[in-house]
Amino acid sequence: MYAAAALIIGVAVGLFLHPTVPDWLGPYLPIAVIAALDAVFGGIRASLAKIFDAKVFVISFIANVLVAGFIVFLGDQLGVGSQLSTAVVVVLGIRIFGNAAAIRRHIFKA
Amino acid sequence: MRVVEDDERAGEVTDVDRDRNLHREQHGEQVRPTDESGRPAVPIRHPLPLLESLFSDHLDPGYQAAADRRAAGRPTSPSTGRRSRTLAYLLAGLVVVGLVLGIAAASTENQAAGTDQARAGLLQDIDNAQLKQSQLAAVQTSLAGQIRSAQASLGAGGPLQTIRQLEVQGGITALTGPGLTVIIDGSTANSGAGVILDRDVQLLVNGLWAAGAEAVAIGGVRLGTTSAIRQAGGAILVDNRPVFWPISIQAIGDPSSLHVRFVDTVGFGRFQTFVSLYGIRFDLAAQTQLTLPAGGAPALQYASAQPSPAPSSSH
Repeated sequence: MYAAAALIIGVAVGLFLHPTVPDWLGPYLPIAVIAALDAVFGGIRASLAKIFDAKVFVISFIANVLVAGFIVFLGDQLGVGSQLSTAVVVVLGIRIFGNAAAIRRHIFKA
Repeated sequence: MRVVEDDERAGEVTDVDRDRNLHREQHGEQVRPTDESGRPAVPIRHPLPLLESLFSDHLDPGYQAAADRRAAGRPTSPSTGRRSRTLAYLLAGLVVVGLVLGIAAASTENQAAGTDQARAGLLQDIDNAQLKQSQLAAVQTSLAGQIRSAQASLGAGGPLQTIRQLEVQGGITALTGPGLTVIIDGSTANSGAGVILDRDVQLLVNGLWAAGAEAVAIGGVRLGTTSAIRQAGGAILVDNRPVFWPISIQAIGDPSSLHVRFVDTVGFGRFQTFVSLYGIRFDLAAQTQLTLPAGGAPALQYASAQPSPAPSSSH
């Protein structure tokens, strides 16, 4: 309940405040989005499995964003930034789909 | 240390046992060996091969670890206020997650709107420029007509006749007369677009000139002495104005001799080949009455006549 409300509040604030994203932050936004989706799906799956832990959720999300951003930043400096950001998207994307599949199995038992 | 021990153990157990262990571990059940003193050792996770773990371990191991810690009865923080702190963590984290998603959506929307706006603006600019160009061309034609009528009303004499003749030869007046119409359409080609290139059209037009055409217009654009036929992407530009398929090329001249000599040219042969190879449209028709629009006079910016013109010998 609270969780859904908090998520909706965040989305609404982001949509209606129209904060301008600085240019240097542009390449890292997609990574943050993927990490956020990964965190949300992971959290849902964990709470369905009754092992959800808020601290793990928050810290893993923030750490994933920071680490992924740092890796891509490093790649940018070394000239392989776009490849590394593809790698981040692929790895987190596989996790998202895996977690979504687990949620589906849990809910529909199929 | 543990790795060595595991290797020894693996030497004893059968492959089936190992597979079973692996299977159990993948499902979160830990095989907990005991150390020498009989206490349960820290559960070790056999590191799966990278790709296998990528496809099987989707959940963050932190959740399992935290659940294990809780199950072991070792709370990481004092239980006073734990619930509210957990809730605060969760809400703060979710607000941040929502913010990220919302900002991303908003900025994407912004960008899309900006791109659309820029595109629409550019299209509008192009339309306006083309409209203005055609208006100016119409004004130029009507002004040229006024000049000629004024000259005529002042009394048409030899000099004016000469000017008129020069204008006709320079291609800056509209002309009428019998001739040929050639219609080419590369968009009907059966093997990919872009069969007809600018150099093909150039060759065709050169063939028309060589066959004795006195004036040529392509797609309503009159060719002058400095006209260019070029290609930009799939579009043919005549004097930087795009012409569209089917392109009609009009040439004034004696229809029959023009036809006979044109058929002999390289350009005609090339287009005949295109017809048989690619199935483009290539039509040739004699016309008794063609009207060619006036062409633009070359805009001279740096060139000027000699201060004391030499008396011309051709009169």
